[in-house]
Amino acid sequence: MIPRKWKMYLKMYWVKFAIVAVVILLVALAVIGLNSLESYYRNITLATMPVNLLMVSLNAIIFVYMYMIFMRGGFSKLSQKLRVHGEFVNIKWSDVIGMENVKAEAMEVVQLIMDRARVKKIGGKILRGILMLGPPGCGKTYLAKAIATESGLPFVSMSGSEFVEIFVGVGAARVRALFKKARELAYGYGGCIVFIDELDAIARKRVFSAFGGTEETNSTQNQLLAEMDGLQELKDKSGEPRPEQNIIIIGATNAPEDMLDRALRRPGRFDRIIYIEKPGLEDREKLFAYYLGKVQYDKLLDVGRLARKAVYKSPADIENIIKEAALVATRNDRDAIRLEDISEAMERIDLGLKRQLTMTPREKETTAYHEAGHAVVLYILHPTNDVFKISIIPRKDTLGVTYSQPKEELYSYTKDKLLADIKVSLAGYVAEKMRFGVTSTGVSGDFKDATRIAHSMVWSLGMSGAEFLGDYTAIPESQISEDLKEKLNQETDKIFQLCLKEVEALLIKEKPILEKLVNDLLAKEELEYDEVEAIFMEFGKARTKSAW
Amino acid sequence: MVGIKKVLLLCAICYILCAALTGCGPTYPKKNVKEAVAGICTQEYGVNVKVETYDKTMFIYLPLKGLLDYSFNLTRPASEKINNVIFTAARVALSTDAKFDFYCVIAHDIKMPELQIVIIKNVEDVRRLFASDISRGEYMKRVLIDLRWSPQAKKEQVVKDIFNKMNLDQKWQDQIISDFFRSEPAAISDIGYWNDRFYIKDITLAEFLAEQIANRIKIEFRESKDLKDIFLLKSAKGLYAARKDRRLFRFEIMAERGAIGAGTTIENSDKIFEKALSMAGHVLHGYHFKDYDAVEVFDQREGRSIEVTPEELENFRMKKVKLNEIGK
Repeated sequence: MIPRKWKMYLKMYWVKFAIVAVVILLVALAVIGLNSLESYYRNITLATMPVNLLMVSLNAIIFVYMYMIFMRGGFSKLSQKLRVHGEFVNIKWSDVIGMENVKAEAMEVVQLIMDRARVKKIGGKILRGILMLGPPGCGKTYLAKAIATESGLPFVSMSGSEFVEIFVGVGAARVRALFKKARELAYGYGGCIVFIDELDAIARKRVFSAFGGTEETNSTQNQLLAEMDGLQELKDKSGEPRPEQNIIIIGATNAPEDMLDRALRRPGRFDRIIYIEKPGLEDREKLFAYYLGKVQYDKLLDVGRLARKAVYKSPADIENIIKEAALVATRNDRDAIRLEDISEAMERIDLGLKRQLTMTPREKETTAYHEAGHAVVLYILHPTNDVFKISIIPRKDTLGVTYSQPKEELYSYTKDKLLADIKVSLAGYVAEKMRFGVTSTGVSGDFKDATRIAHSMVWSLGMSGAEFLGDYTAIPESQISEDLKEKLNQETDKIFQLCLKEVEALLIKEKPILEKLVNDLLAKEELEYDEVEAIFMEFGKARTKSAW
Repeated sequence: MVGIKKVLLLCAICYILCAALTGCGPTYPKKNVKEAVAGICTQEYGVNVKVETYDKTMFIYLPLKGLLDYSFNLTRPASEKINNVIFTAARVALSTDAKFDFYCVIAHDIKMPELQIVIIKNVEDVRRLFASDISRGEYMKRVLIDLRWSPQAKKEQVVKDIFNKMNLDQKWQDQIISDFFRSEPAAISDIGYWNDRFYIKDITLAEFLAEQIANRIKIEFRESKDLKDIFLLKSAKGLYAARKDRRLFRFEIMAERGAIGAGTTIENSDKIFEKALSMAGHVLHGYHFKDYDAVEVFDQREGRSIEVTPEELENFRMKKVKLNEIGK
C-alpha cells in the first residue's frame, strides 16, 4: 500500500511528476532512436537539435504570447496564479520570548489540535480557527509558527493582502487554492495549520452595496467562510472524519476586533481569540537579554533598566533598538554596545534624525521657551511621565522636543493624568506668551492634543466638573440639543481655561527654573535626563524618580 | 520569464543527455568498411558485391543479370540494384572514419562483362546534398556516369586476336596476358573490373573535376539550344596534368559545325572556348579548387587553343572581362 505521504505528493505534484516522466520517456526514446542511426545521421541530428529546440521554444513562446494577449486578456492574468508552499517551521515555545500568558493559551490550543480524537470522543467541539489580535511587531506570526512546530503539523502561510486583487473572483480563487493545498497537506500529515496574516484585508465587515463596489472583498470573505464551514463536512465512507478536515486556521491582525466581520468571529470559525499585548516589564527584560545575546555588549549593562526605559515597546521595536545601537556603536568605534548607544538608538527611533536647519536666534529662543515650558510643567505636575530629554535641535517636522516617557505601562488613565497632559500641552504656549507677549505656530499641535483630551473628558469620559455623565459621542449629533452642546463645549472650555491659569501660575512661580532651562538649552541645544534632574534639584524641586 | 528559463534549461538537459548517451563514434570503423558494405548489400538488398579500397577511394563491383535492354538502356531491376549499392556506399562513406573522398560503383552484365557502367561520386558532394547545400540538379551534374567498354577487356581482346593468329595455346595466352598486359590504370577512364580483378587507382579531385567539366561540356552542347544548332559535338575530353611546376587542366573538344547559324571559323572557336571556359570556371569555383596554374581549351577541328590563368578564369566567370581580353 502506498504511504499516505506519497499519495499526497502524487496528488500535489502530479503535473510535475507527469512532466518528468514524459521527459524521461522522450529522452530515452530519443537516445534509442539516435543509437539506431548511423553515425553520420546521428551527428547531423545532434548538430541540428539545438537549432530545432531553439526554434520549437521560440514557436512556443510566440504561441503562448499570442494566446495570452488575444485569448486570455494579457499576461496580467498570470499574476493570479497562486503559489502556496507548505513549510515546516522549527520555532519552539522556548524561542518565543515572553508572552507567558499568551503562550499558555496557545499551548492549550496545541493540546486541542494534537488530541482531537479525545476531544471528539467526549463530544467536544473541535477547534477550527484561532484569531490573534494585537499591535504590530508583537510576535503573532512567530507564535503561530511555534504552534505549528509544537503540534508537528505543516504550516501554510499567506498574507491577507495576497488575496486582494483588482479582478473580481481572484481573491476567492486564491482562498480555494490555499485550502486545497492545506487539505492535501492535511491528508499527508494528518493535519495542517493555515496562517493568514493581516486578516483584516479580507475580514473587514462586509458592505452590501447596491453598486457592487466591494464585491471582490465580499466574495473573498464569503469564500473563506465557506471553506471554514466546509471543513466540517469531509467524512470517509465509514463516516469517520477524513484527515483533510484537520485544518486549523490562525488569523492575525492588528485591527480592532470590532472591525472584523461578525460572521468570521462566530463559533465554528474563529472559535478562540488570543489577545497579544505589548510585552510587560519582565518580558521586555527577557527580550533585551535575548537580542543582546546576539551582539557584543557591555556586560555592565543593566537589562532591567533598559526594559524600564522601553515602555510600550514591542518585541520588534526592541530588536530594532539593538540593531540600531549596534550601528551607533560601530560608528563610535566601539567593540561592544554600551548604554549610551542604546539611548541614542532609542532617541533616533522615537524622535527621528536630527535635521540641519538654519534657525534665526529668535526662533531658537522661542523654541527654547516653548520646550522649557513643557519640561517644567511635565516635571512638576505630571503624575506618570518623566522628562528624559529636552532638545531644540529640529527633528522630523518639529523644531524642538521634550521627550517624556511613562514610568510604567498604563492601561487606563486617570483624570489627573489627562489634566496633566493638557497642562503640559499648554505649557509651551504659556511660556512663549510670558516671554514674548505673542506666540508662534509651534503651538498648533499642542492645542490640538489639549483640545482633543479636554473634549473627550467632557463629551465621553464624564470628567467635567458639572454633572455631565455619559458618552455624548455615542448619540447622533442631530439628537443632541444645541443647548446641551453649548453646555458641554463650555465645560470643555472651562477645563481648558482652568488648566491654562494653573500653568500660568506655575510658570510665573517657577520662572527661575524656566529661565535656567532656556539658557542651558540655548547654550547646549540638548539637555539629557541627568542635566534636567540637576537643574530641578538645584532649585529644590527634585522628586522621587524611578531608578532608570 | 522563470517559466521560459525552466523550459530552456530542460531542453539543454535533454540535449546533453541525448548527446552523452549516444556518443559520436563511427558506425563503420575503417578496418571493417569492406565487410560493412558487402554485408549491407547482402542483408538489406540481397545483392552480392565485391569491395576494394584504394587510398581515399572505395570501389564496389556489382555483377548483374540483364544490365541493359535491347536499346542499350538500363533495365529497371538493374537500375534499382545499382541505386541500392550507391546508397549503401554513401551510407558507409559518410559514417566511417576511413575519410573517403570518392566512391566508385562498377556494374556489368555477367553475360557481357566487357560492357561496364562506372559511377563515380564525390563524398563531399553527397554530404552537401544531404545538408541542402547544393541542389539535386547540381548534384546529378557532379556525378560521373560512364557506360564503356572495359579498357582492359579491349586491350586483352587485341592481344588475344594476335595470339590466336599465332595459334598460341590458351594456357600460355592467359599467362602472358597476366604477366605482361595487366597493369594498374593511369586515368579515371581506365578504371574497371575484368576477369575477377579490379583495375583501380586512387581518384584525385583534380582529375575528377577534369572529367566532370568535360562531361558538363558534353551535356551543354547537347542541351543548349544555342549550341546544338551550330555544333555537333563528337568528343570532349578533360585531363589534369601536373608536370614539374606546372599544373594544367586541358580540355580537347571536337565539334563538327552544323548547318544552321554557323559563323566564321574564329567566331565558332570562340563560342566553344567561351562555353568551355565558362563551365570550367563554374565547376572549379564550386569546388573552391585552386590547385592549378592554367586552363587550356583546344578546338580540335580548327586546331586553335586558348590558355587562361586562374585569375583570368575567375574574372571571366564573374563577367568582368570578355573572351578577347584573356588568354594566349
